[in-house]
Amino acid sequence: MLHEITLTVNGDPYVVAVRSHHTLLQVLREQLGITSPKRGCENGECGACTVIMDGLPVSSCMVLAAEADGANIETAEGLAEEGDLHPLQQAFLDHNAIQCGFCTPGMLMSSKALLDRTPHPSEDEIRHALVGNLCRCTGYVRIVDAVQDVAKES
Amino acid sequence: MQPFDYYRPDGYKQAFGLLSDPDKTAVAIAGGTDVIPLTRDRHLQPDLVVDIKGLPGMRDLGLNSIEPCCGPGTGECLYVGAAVTMNELARSDVVQGSWPILADAAAAMGNEQIRNRATIGGNIGTASPAADSAPALYVLEACVLVKGLSGDRSIPIDRFFIGPRRHALKRGEIIAGLLVPRLPAGAIGHHEKLSRRKAGDLSIVSVAVLALPSDGHVDWRVALGAVAPTPVRAPQAEAALAKGHDAEHIDLAAAAAYGCSRPIADIRSGVEYRQAMIVNLVRRSVQSVVNRLPQA
Repeated sequence: MLHEITLTVNGDPYVVAVRSHHTLLQVLREQLGITSPKRGCENGECGACTVIMDGLPVSSCMVLAAEADGANIETAEGLAEEGDLHPLQQAFLDHNAIQCGFCTPGMLMSSKALLDRTPHPSEDEIRHALVGNLCRCTGYVRIVDAVQDVAKES
Repeated sequence: MQPFDYYRPDGYKQAFGLLSDPDKTAVAIAGGTDVIPLTRDRHLQPDLVVDIKGLPGMRDLGLNSIEPCCGPGTGECLYVGAAVTMNELARSDVVQGSWPILADAAAAMGNEQIRNRATIGGNIGTASPAADSAPALYVLEACVLVKGLSGDRSIPIDRFFIGPRRHALKRGEIIAGLLVPRLPAGAIGHHEKLSRRKAGDLSIVSVAVLALPSDGHVDWRVALGAVAPTPVRAPQAEAALAKGHDAEHIDLAAAAAYGCSRPIADIRSGVEYRQAMIVNLVRRSVQSVVNRLPQA
């Protein structure tokens, strides 16, 4: 079954026909060409597919595209403004908080959602917010440092 | 994922019709955090996926004095719509203020991304013995409000779970929400969850303890998760604590709770470890409550 849905991704409106059994992740990557959300575990455990949906971080592999009708979606593609990196992106670079990079878009979106809600989180709050984002290069310390840096500056 | 047809019914009547279609396998979806992976892994093979989270009342959360509350006596209680998410529960001022054990249990579930989608109705509707909200709902003596073609009914939470992934819903019925009775003044609770990792994991054992002090006497409620075919109350542990909550009675209660369990071995834990941890977690939970009880 096809559903015509409207959604906003990084400020741009889209009207797209999606199949009932396709996830938001599939539609973002395969129909809209927005590929920063990664297909990892497809089980809601790794966080590589994390996007911000109506202000909340969610696993886009666990949302049916049809459920996202009318939603406002943010992905890593929308973080930089006019060529300037988002403070989180710059902090990840400055701290070398990236190894293979596969987890990075999800890490960024979970971190952004945290800072949007809690501008000055403790280390504990940062770690708690990133529980659902796995980094198999195990760069967690640098990632937490990077988020803490942005939290201090803002 | 195998193809299915997704419907967002415009009312309960249409939802009941879709879910009870004799020629189709239909499954209700709210947060989708169980339905989607189960369908992907072919444990569920639905023809129809019926999105119920937009139905009236499904997302309501707050005090309710209209509906008679469950259990003896009526009156004001907490209404939690079935599609209220775990994070909405965990962060609600009303829930944190008057039912903190429920907020704690909701916060212990999954990870941030999952708690933003997963719903309380889905957490019990999956009917896993390890459902994170269940021990808290058992000690709070909550009721499950069910709507169906043959009318509405209210099921006490301990009669909703009937076996591993088996519940008391009839075909076509929908969990509409939960009713949680107001606690008497002075009630103190504690929720404890043990998993392989500190967070983002299913429980090996979980425990909820609630103390209800009145007139120099304390009534206790103890519930266990992930150690029997369903979540269970531990009445023998409650009886031991009713006689006293000094170190000796806490040990007796912890041992009695062990006796109320029937754990299995699975990927998360063996039987012996689960049994040992029931004893430890019950002891720890009761002690935490005792530390906060007013001194007699």
